[in-house]
Amino acid sequence: MKKYGLLFVLLTLISMLGSASNEVYKEAMQREIVQLWQAATVSELQSAANAFTRISSLNPEEWLPPYYVAVAYAQMGFRSDESITVKDGYFSQAKEHIKKAARLSENNSEIIAVEGFIIMGELSLDPGARGQNLSPLAMQALGRAMELEPENPRAMIMMAQMELGTAQFFGQSPEKACRLAKISRDRFAKEASEVGKDSIYPTWGSVMAEQMTGSCP
Amino acid sequence: MVLGTHVLFAQSTIQGRVTGTKGESIPGVNIYIKGTYDGTSSDKEGGFQFNTEETGEQTLVFQFIGYQLLEMKVVLLGTTLEVKPILKEGINQLTAVTISAGAMEASDEKKAVVLRPIDIVTIPGSMGDIVGALQTLPGTATVGNDGRLFVRGGDASETAIFIDGLKVANAYGTTANNVPTRTRFSPNLFKGSFFSTGGYSAEYGQALSSALALNTMDNPIRDQGDLSVMSVGFGYTQTLVREKSSLTATANYLDLAPYQTLIQQNFDWERAPFGLDAEISLRQRLGEQGLLKAYVHTESAGMKIWQAAPGEHDRGNLIHQRNRYTYAQTSFKQIGKNDWSYYGGVSLSNNRDRLLLDQLDLEVRNGLVHGKMVAVKDFTEKFSLKSGLEVFYHNYGEDFRSEGQSRSFKDYQTNVFTEADYYLSSKMVFRGGLRAAHSSLADEGWIDPRISLAYKVRQEEQLSLAVGRFNQMPIEELRVVKPELVNSSADHLILNYLRTKNGRMVRAEAFYKNYKDLLLYTGNQYSYSDIKQNGGGYSRGIDFFYRDRTTIKNTDFWITYSFVDSRRHYATFTDKVQPSYAPRHNGSVVVKHYISTLQSQLGVSFSANDGYTYHDPNFLGQMNSKTKSYQDLGIGWSYLPRPNLIIHFACSNLLGRKNTFGYQFSGEANAAGYHESLPIGQGAPRFLFLGIFLTLSKDKSANQLNNL
Repeated sequence: MKKYGLLFVLLTLISMLGSASNEVYKEAMQREIVQLWQAATVSELQSAANAFTRISSLNPEEWLPPYYVAVAYAQMGFRSDESITVKDGYFSQAKEHIKKAARLSENNSEIIAVEGFIIMGELSLDPGARGQNLSPLAMQALGRAMELEPENPRAMIMMAQMELGTAQFFGQSPEKACRLAKISRDRFAKEASEVGKDSIYPTWGSVMAEQMTGSCP
Repeated sequence: MVLGTHVLFAQSTIQGRVTGTKGESIPGVNIYIKGTYDGTSSDKEGGFQFNTEETGEQTLVFQFIGYQLLEMKVVLLGTTLEVKPILKEGINQLTAVTISAGAMEASDEKKAVVLRPIDIVTIPGSMGDIVGALQTLPGTATVGNDGRLFVRGGDASETAIFIDGLKVANAYGTTANNVPTRTRFSPNLFKGSFFSTGGYSAEYGQALSSALALNTMDNPIRDQGDLSVMSVGFGYTQTLVREKSSLTATANYLDLAPYQTLIQQNFDWERAPFGLDAEISLRQRLGEQGLLKAYVHTESAGMKIWQAAPGEHDRGNLIHQRNRYTYAQTSFKQIGKNDWSYYGGVSLSNNRDRLLLDQLDLEVRNGLVHGKMVAVKDFTEKFSLKSGLEVFYHNYGEDFRSEGQSRSFKDYQTNVFTEADYYLSSKMVFRGGLRAAHSSLADEGWIDPRISLAYKVRQEEQLSLAVGRFNQMPIEELRVVKPELVNSSADHLILNYLRTKNGRMVRAEAFYKNYKDLLLYTGNQYSYSDIKQNGGGYSRGIDFFYRDRTTIKNTDFWITYSFVDSRRHYATFTDKVQPSYAPRHNGSVVVKHYISTLQSQLGVSFSANDGYTYHDPNFLGQMNSKTKSYQDLGIGWSYLPRPNLIIHFACSNLLGRKNTFGYQFSGEANAAGYHESLPIGQGAPRFLFLGIFLTLSKDKSANQLNNL
């Protein structure tokens, strides 16, 4: 009985410590997610990426920290006004971290969508030269993300943007792409009503849907 | 919680400025106390400040891309701590200098490659041939009556061709004299290529002038069928993709006969060239990063042509060529533990030619087996070492069926190489390599040292230097007559300047090549005699390349100019001459413009040189004459009505210029003491190409979209 008593105390202690560290992790994540979406410059995004890297090194089994590091670096690539080489550097950092996330969580629609998002970024730096190689790869990743999680509005809006690019290149009507953008906008709204504001799971991307549906006929 | 109220939280402040070794500020550095959430990033001036409730001895970490990680022991006493971290530069793989002397790299899915499969297909003058496209790059010469790759004053045999690192023998289709050939392999097979016009790595041997390494596609992304219908034949490719493997099977039939009955030819064909080829390609992933590939290409081709002789007025000789060819290989790459990686494979080339000419009935067999195993170890991010072992087995034979005679040789070659890359900094890299080999037939051993150096002048500008020795055995037709022949050699010196910025590329390269032990002989192919090996010569020059994809909207263009001064004592000449395949001034312009309203890409290519030297026996001296300038203006139009359909039209030599590549002279003078001649020209004034390429697939993402 004494033995079990000790075990009970130990277990309680461990679970208390565990949940305490879990709370700290969650709070740190919440704080940095706010910082990430407030970041307006490349250097603020770099700070956000650094912060998630710190969280990741303390929580090596969590996929969300490297996921957000990747998102931050991808955003740097999109927002930077430096040379193509520098922007490619940001996307390659993003790639490295999203791979890390993918190793921690397999067949994760959110992670695969960001993989597609990063390829879209690389493609955007030189569509003429890279389009042929990269656009099928981006479409493939986004298609897979949508297959795994048909309700994922981020995968959907990214796919809509790819569709729009293809339609423009081939001089076709943007109708199909726009329809998809509208569905994604509705799903973003649904997601916002379902998920709490302080969720550390991905809820970003509604701005892309608003922008695209705004420019659609 | 009761206990906690009595603990005094001593808050420390850590502040400072992160600098590099030269005192420059480094912004964006990740700074934190190891094992805690406490940390921050440095600002624009490298400054930082953060608070922590940790106490006692702690480790402060400074981390930033392109710099070495810095760990600093600190003692936190609840006060303000001022630190002065200095970060040392590391090697940033992405922006670090690379060796660019001699090299034109075209690889990596993402990078704007020099020539992609689509480029090769849509360069109007290339007619879908890899080598045709490479002839728009610096350092190459167009030799229209041959069709092979001629690099910097070297002959076609001086370029070695590799697929996935393994050697390909007889990479060009068999043809008759003065009838241009093509590469046997479709550009659609390859994701990229590495083309070196000199000074290349110790990994490549047995090539005096140039190495062309073609890399096959790694992973097709979906099941699809590709159908092509062309003015010269048709083909079909089926791709099947599984989670860890994929298979591609192709069959092509080519026949120039229908085309040639429609369009007047200068060549006197009895049977126009025809060919049937089949290919199978398999890829299997090995673990997370490894890949195993297998590839087989087999073909059967033939032609019959009448070739007139100078001074005669009949159709001349009927030449009947039949060819059977197989190339098979398997290769792998794998990433091991402790920064080791490995690659290698085995290839087999087997070529069989049957030549019927007048009384002659000759069968030529050429077989080559190449095995290769390479290990790479990254000791630090600054130092890596690549070492490899290669074996070649060469089996060549000529059967003169008409005379009932035959001759052949077998040669085993063992090669070892090692090459070290050392980064002195992100700005400077040194590469030193050695290649040692032995040939059983020649009973000769040799060592090729190679050194290169690259220095980054600015972020987008760099200079490279390469020096090295390159050995190559003589061509098979000579070795079979005189097996004791040893290597010819070439010493290369190359200085390269490269600037790439936002879609513009400027490349200038100066080179000097010194040849030793070139072959001298009398007689012709299959009847060589008096073979000696005391020829030699040099080739020197400079070339420029400018490519621009940004200045003009939706337009990609490049301009190439190569100057080559080549003099060599070779073949049947008794003194140094300018070879017929080495025009002095060579230039080309390629422009591709995409018009989205027409869903079309228009292409124009123009290439020219100052003419080919030839030997006219009616005058004194050797190689005493030169043809008129060669010029070819080609146009192409690719129409993409849908993402899966391309209609491509191209026309070479639009202006119908009568290009002459040299003259053939009668061996004996006529009654008036004059050697009569015949010009060596083009097969037809123009070549028209029309192709329809259709991709059939059930794209999953596309399907999903259609269901919405």
